[in-house]
Amino acid sequence: MRRVGRGIVSVSQQAGGILVLLAKILRRFFPPDIDYFEFKRNLHKMGNKSLFIVGLTAVFVGAIMVVQASVYVQQFSAYAFVGWGAGFVILRELGPILIALMFSGRVGANNTAELGTMVVTEQIDGLRALSIDPISYLIVPRFLSMILMLFALTVYGNIIALFGAAAFGQVMLGIEIRVFFSGVTTMLGPWDLWIGLIKSLAFGLIIALSSCYYGLAVRGGAPGVGRAVNSSVVASAVGIFVADYFLTFLVD
Amino acid sequence: MAAGARAASGEGARREPGRVHRFVEGLGTSAVDGARAARLFYSILIRTLYYSVRGRREKGAVLRAMYQIGNRSLFFITVVMGFIGMIMVYHSCTQVNRITGDLHLVGATFLQIVVRDFAASIGATMIATRVGAGIAAEIGSMVVTDQVDALRMCAAEPIDYLIVPRFKASVVMTTVLIVWSMAVMTVIGMLTAWGMFDVNPRIFWNTSMVDYRDLTMGLTKCLAFGAAIPIVSGYCGLTTFGGAEGVGWATTRAVVWSIFATILLNFVISTVGFYVFWA
Repeated sequence: MRRVGRGIVSVSQQAGGILVLLAKILRRFFPPDIDYFEFKRNLHKMGNKSLFIVGLTAVFVGAIMVVQASVYVQQFSAYAFVGWGAGFVILRELGPILIALMFSGRVGANNTAELGTMVVTEQIDGLRALSIDPISYLIVPRFLSMILMLFALTVYGNIIALFGAAAFGQVMLGIEIRVFFSGVTTMLGPWDLWIGLIKSLAFGLIIALSSCYYGLAVRGGAPGVGRAVNSSVVASAVGIFVADYFLTFLVD
Repeated sequence: MAAGARAASGEGARREPGRVHRFVEGLGTSAVDGARAARLFYSILIRTLYYSVRGRREKGAVLRAMYQIGNRSLFFITVVMGFIGMIMVYHSCTQVNRITGDLHLVGATFLQIVVRDFAASIGATMIATRVGAGIAAEIGSMVVTDQVDALRMCAAEPIDYLIVPRFKASVVMTTVLIVWSMAVMTVIGMLTAWGMFDVNPRIFWNTSMVDYRDLTMGLTKCLAFGAAIPIVSGYCGLTTFGGAEGVGWATTRAVVWSIFATILLNFVISTVGFYVFWA
């Protein structure tokens, strides 16, 4: 009983902390108070440096979709539907989710670790002592660039995953790439693409908030940083799936 | 390009290195680093397998690791897999409604794909985030605070002491957690289909499409993912350097590469299984 109560209190504490952080971040937009160079540096660090791993993941995700579909395709010889099926799953669900999970592992965890190290080595207090607002100098640029870059990476990853699926369909099932893409374009509307991209914006928001919150809440040296990264990644993953569920209902 | 290369090779000692020179240099550095990392990873893999057969046995270490990996992830896994089950049933029912409107076989297909792939692949991604990050953070902080060197000084092999219990525990607990998440997804999916699309649970519970091939694939994936996650994240933890920031880096790498390892293994196992069983 006591353990359940303690769990509920700590979860609501974290949720409240995240909301307060969001309010603080939003207040920095009126009037805009954002460090431009830090923003640019973060865009490069979070976007360009993740291109390789996101691309690699996306290729395999596309290929796995075709492998999973191929059992049914051979059973019903539904070769024309592969483009539709793979495209639907990649654009609406798996593309945004898996790229967001990868992003939360690569960028979110790294961000938590960086902020946590700054907290542990008292650099944040140092900034405050120099009367530099840590939120507008450190947090807001990261927040903005994470949302923007996850969106951009989802577009890029979707493209790569579709090409991976098409190439693998050609190799494994002998479906012409032209047939695959005609399935994608005729049976899916622009809405299918937009839903995935809207989801990626929401996922970016969740990853940015949880990674910044847990980074700033670090306590107790190097093990503390490790624990913070762990809980930030877990919170982002839960947030991503819960948000995905509600968005799926909302947009339909 | 050619001129740059010639300049770089001929007079590189005096001039600033050209773009081609720097590119080749970067390529070589990353190739050497990659080869070194691959060799270390391979050595850790082999030593983990070796010591898990003939290493020393510490009482309770495996059980403690099992508790850390299994019981502590149970809530997280249940929540995530429940949501995934709802989303999957919702999508498949709406798509079937759009085309044929015959919801009879949704349950059977759902069960088949959950057993064959989805429970294992998504569950393992989640376990990789939760468990991989935990293992790397723990071992990484030990490395940073010189506890691993202390172990070596006491003639205790760190891999035998730190990775092997987690390896054994993870192989068992990943399988258990994935079987559990199959159950969660099935029940939640059944309820979703019943509540939102009026599919009777008795019709939904149709295991006629699940055969030995699907079970073999699902269980192979469980074992492979369960073995891969602790080794990859243990490798990332043992190669930690530099204080608190290093621990953060190690955790990041552990999450990224464990997720990638599960995706890659899923791809390999699915392809091989397709050619063995279905083609």
